[in-house]
Amino acid sequence: MTAIANLLYVTLKSALRDRILHAMFGVSLVLLLLVPSLSVFSMRQVQELSITLSLSAVSVALLLLATLLGASSIWRDVERRYTSSILGLPISRGTYVLGKYAGIASVLVASAFLLGVASTLVIALSAGAHPSDMPVRWPNVWTAVVFDTLKYLLLAALAMLFSSLSTSFFLPFFGTISIYLAGSASQDVYEYITGPYGKTLSPVFRWLAHVVYYIIPNFSAFNLKVLAVYGLLLPWNGLLYTFCYFLVYTALVLVICVWIFSRRELP
Amino acid sequence: MNALDIQNLSRVYKGKKGREVQALSGLNLTIGQGEVFGFLGPNGAGKSTTIKTVTGQIRPTEGMAYVFGTPVAEASGRMRIGYLPENPSFYDFMTAREYLLLVGRTFRMPEDRIAAETVRVLNLLELEEAADRPMRGYSKGMVQRLGLAQALLHDPDLYILDEPMSGLDPLGRALVKRVIKELKEKGKTVFFSTHIINDVEVICDRLGVINKGRLLAVDSVANVLERGAEGYLIQISHHGTTTEEVFIPKDRLKAFMAEMVASDASIERIEPMRKDLEEFFLGLVRGGDDAARQ
Ligand SMILES: Nc1ncnc2c1ncn2[C@@H]1O[C@H](COP(=O)(O)OP(=O)(O)OP(=O)(O)O)[C@@H](O)[C@H]1O
Ligand SMILES: [Mg+2]
Repeated sequence: MTAIANLLYVTLKSALRDRILHAMFGVSLVLLLLVPSLSVFSMRQVQELSITLSLSAVSVALLLLATLLGASSIWRDVERRYTSSILGLPISRGTYVLGKYAGIASVLVASAFLLGVASTLVIALSAGAHPSDMPVRWPNVWTAVVFDTLKYLLLAALAMLFSSLSTSFFLPFFGTISIYLAGSASQDVYEYITGPYGKTLSPVFRWLAHVVYYIIPNFSAFNLKVLAVYGLLLPWNGLLYTFCYFLVYTALVLVICVWIFSRRELP
Repeated sequence: MNALDIQNLSRVYKGKKGREVQALSGLNLTIGQGEVFGFLGPNGAGKSTTIKTVTGQIRPTEGMAYVFGTPVAEASGRMRIGYLPENPSFYDFMTAREYLLLVGRTFRMPEDRIAAETVRVLNLLELEEAADRPMRGYSKGMVQRLGLAQALLHDPDLYILDEPMSGLDPLGRALVKRVIKELKEKGKTVFFSTHIINDVEVICDRLGVINKGRLLAVDSVANVLERGAEGYLIQISHHGTTTEEVFIPKDRLKAFMAEMVASDASIERIEPMRKDLEEFFLGLVRGGDDAARQ
C-alpha cells in the first residue's frame, strides 16, 4: 500500500511539473470563463446552454488529460529506462502499474473537482443573469461531472493498457482515441442493429456486433448531460449499475495491464 | 548463509526472426558475506545479464539466484540489496533529494533516518550542491554518483553494482574505490562488474572472469597476483659509477641477495616482474577464444 502511495506521489509530481498539462488546464479554464458570454447568443435558453457548454468543456479537458497521461505512461518510463532504476528497488511490477494508475487517477479527480467548481460558478453566473423558468438542479450537474470523471478514469486505464504493450506514442494515443470514439458510439450502433434494420443483416455480422458491443466499453452510459441540462429525475438504479460497470471494467483492464507488464521484457 | 548464490543460471535472448543469443550458460557462483567480488569480462560477456537476473529485472531461462537465501524473483528479495544499474537513469523531473526520499520510503525507512542518511550519502558522493536541482540538468557523472548514493541510502548488507566507475572522472573513480573499501571494512558484501582490471586489483578479495556467457575462472586476487610473480628486475651499481640491470627468477632471489651482501655492489632498485591481472585476464579470454575456434 505504501509502495503504491509512493508511486502515486511520483506520478502526481511529474504531472504537476508538466508544462503541457499546465497549458491544457489553463486553456480549459479560459474556455469555461467564455461560457457566460457565449451562452448569451442563444437568446432564450441561456441557462441550458451554459450547462451544456460547461459540461462539454470539462469533458474535453478530462478527455485530453486522460489520453495524454495514460498514453504517455508506461512505455515512456521503459524507453527512458526509468523502469530499470525504479524496479531495482523492492517494487513489484504490479505495484508499479497500480501506483502509476493511482497517480493518473488522482490528477483526473483533482482536475475534475477544480473544473467542476469553475463550472458551478460559471453556470450560476449565467443562470443568475438570465434565469430560466426552472431553477438549475445542482445535484444533476454535479452527478454529471462525477460520471464523466468515472468515464475518463476508465479511459485512462485503457490508455495504460495500450502503454504497457507499446514502445512508442502511436499505439497508446490513437488506440485510446479510437476506443473512445467506438465506445461512445457503440450504444447507438447496437440499438440500430438490434432494431428493425438489423433483421436485414447476416446473423454472423449481428453476432459479431454483439461481441464487439460487450467488449468495448459503453461510454454513452456515463453521459448524463441531458439529465443535467433539463433537470430530469436521476435514475438511481441505472446509475448504480453504471458505477458497478465502471468498477468491474476498470479492475479488469488493470489486471490485464499488470499481467502484460509483468511479462514484458525490459531493456 | 551466502550473500549471493547463483545456481546454474542460463539466459537466452530471443531476437527477431527466431534468432537466439545465449547470453549466459550454466553460471554457478557463490559470494560469501563480507566479500568484495569483481566480475570481469569484455563487452557483451554477460555481466549485465547476470546482474539483471540476480536483481530480478529479467527472468532466467534456467537456474536460480538467491540473495541471503531468498529467491530474487520476489520484490521483497531486493529489500537487502543496494543496486546500481548499468548507466542508470532516474526520473529527471525530480531532484536528487526528492528521489532519495522516494528510495528511503520504498525501503520503509523512518523519515528521520531518511533525512540523516540523505545528508550522509549526498555528502559522501559530493552531490550536496546539485541536490535541489532537477536531475534533468545533471551531467553523466553526477547521475552515476546519484546511482551510488541511492544504492547506499538504506545501508544494505549486499551491494550489486553494474560498472560503478563508468562515466566517472579519475577523482570520481578514486572516490568509488574508497567507498567500496569502506563498505568492506564495515563487513558489507559487494559484487560489482567492470572491464577495468586495475579496479579489481586494488579493491577486490576475489574475482571472476566471464566471457561469452561462461564463467572462465574464479580465484582470489592474492592468488592470481602471487602465481603471476615471476622474478625481479634488479639494478645494481658498482662503486656508484657503473650500473647494470639483472633479472633474477623468484626462487633465486634469496641466494642473489646473499651474494650481494658479500660483494661491494649496492642495490639501486628492485622491481617485481610478474604477469599481472591484465595478462591473466587477457590470457583467459583469448584462451577461451582459441579453444572455441578449435
Ligand atoms: N535485450 C537483449 N536482447 C537481445 N540480446 C541481448 C539483450 N541484452 C543483451 N543481449 C546480448 O547478450 C549478451 C550479453 O550482454 P550483456 O549486456 O550481459 O553484456 P555485458 O557483459 O554487460 O557487456 P558490457 O561490458 O558491454 O556492458 C550480448 O551478446 C548481448 O548482445
Ligand atoms: Mg554491461
